[in-house]
Amino acid sequence: MTIELESKPMPLLLRALTIMTVLGFATTLYLGLFAAGTDIQQGDVQRIFYIHMPSFFGAFTAFGLTVLGGVLALARESDKWDKIALAGVEVGLAFALINLLTGSIWARPIWNTWWTWDPRLTSAAVMCLTYAAYLMLRAGIEDANRRRAFMSVYGIFAFVTVLITLFIIRIVPDTIHPVIVGASPQNAQGSFEATSGVVLALLPSMALWLTVMPITLIWHRYRLEERREGLDRLKLKLLSE
Amino acid sequence: MARISIFIASILVVLLLASQIAAQDADRIVPYVQARGFNAPALEGWENQSTEEIAQFHFAAAEATIRAAIVAADDPITAAQTDLAEWLRVEVGPPVYSDKVNLADGTWQVLIFDIDAATTASVMARRQEAQVVLISFVERAPDARSMMLTLAQADDSLDAATPEIARALQELAGVDIVQLESTGSIALPSGEWQAYERPGLSAMGMVFGNDSYVALQEGALADLAPLADAWNRTLLGFFITPDNSGYLALGLAAAFIILGLLILSYFWRARTLRQELALLNALAEEGD
Repeated sequence: MTIELESKPMPLLLRALTIMTVLGFATTLYLGLFAAGTDIQQGDVQRIFYIHMPSFFGAFTAFGLTVLGGVLALARESDKWDKIALAGVEVGLAFALINLLTGSIWARPIWNTWWTWDPRLTSAAVMCLTYAAYLMLRAGIEDANRRRAFMSVYGIFAFVTVLITLFIIRIVPDTIHPVIVGASPQNAQGSFEATSGVVLALLPSMALWLTVMPITLIWHRYRLEERREGLDRLKLKLLSE
Repeated sequence: MARISIFIASILVVLLLASQIAAQDADRIVPYVQARGFNAPALEGWENQSTEEIAQFHFAAAEATIRAAIVAADDPITAAQTDLAEWLRVEVGPPVYSDKVNLADGTWQVLIFDIDAATTASVMARRQEAQVVLISFVERAPDARSMMLTLAQADDSLDAATPEIARALQELAGVDIVQLESTGSIALPSGEWQAYERPGLSAMGMVFGNDSYVALQEGALADLAPLADAWNRTLLGFFITPDNSGYLALGLAAAFIILGLLILSYFWRARTLRQELALLNALAEEGD
């Protein structure tokens, strides 16, 4: 007898999204590195911005799906939405780390430091730690129902850190973090003009990181989690026979 | 499918609106001439003669040219002499005036060359690794020789450049400032200048930071003002685009590594699942 795992074929939409992600990533990389002009004040390091800012918004989408997953997992007691919430955290955390690291690397030549305890930087670090804690806590709860309920609530409340990170530079004026759309705070350092070249390179990158990329990665992660659960069920079944 | 499409479309609309707001700011950008990694402000009313190597503006009415270049050299004086000789196709002797001044972007050598009866060159030169940055003002009007100087303020509590104007007049024209009449201050785009004049000689100066920018001319004040203003705007607006592509490479590497690790973890976990399944099959076969 051969045991086989129930595995659905990859949906056509997911295939299309995967291809779009790969092609889109290559295209936006080309636009940011070659098509957009060099910032005459900041130099080439300004191009990091084409990954730095979109990656935050990618994390926003992913963590937003965690909230949606959490709410629906609680309302419907659904494992499916709990898996989506988990996938959202994993993908969002990766994106948030990209955001944090690329920002730190940009800051070294522009602010002359790798890190400073600025409100925006601090809130971004707290956001990353909050979601890293999500994964650790989740791994520590064995009972599936308790885990689903607890992590759903955690995932919903953790989103507060995302909103704080997003809006803090509009609320707290004492920040050196620049704002690209609209006027920068008075103490902001490293601002640059959103010229048509910047906007043309940024828009496709934002669209990709905000929508296609997190959805694709979350969907793949969700399928993986489904297979893992299927295997766990199989193990239980074999043990009970 | 439809819900995802609506979601993507609505986000794109928001992004397009945001880009419209951002594009409105683009009008505020000061026009710059970019050449070989440096940038000089474009001078309105001056003929732009810039190339990929140099930024150069010519003011025909005064036979004056302002030029910025970066040349491979170790010594600022030699670099200035070589550049002027190649540009003007004349032999350039030692400077008639040479001094150093500390500005925000480093120590500059202030040089004046009397090239021939009709030509005077004022040069600011600064070493930048194995190169020298040169910003030159050359006028070729025999009846209106001009010189541009940047001098450290003797007394930085003053907001007038009078002591430095006096010093420049003494050192370069051998004239005491009291022989000139003060005409008060002149408001130019670059700032408020103090002006002095007598027939056939005029002097202007303005304070910026702890330094005074001084302009002298064997001519009328009205002719000197646009030249001094243009020279000052060039000096204060000039900047070098930093070469920090190494940090860009580091940032890209960080992004690729994190994304790569995430995707690799998917493959690794899928592989682990397959291995576990194979183990289950092996155990099941043993059981049979």
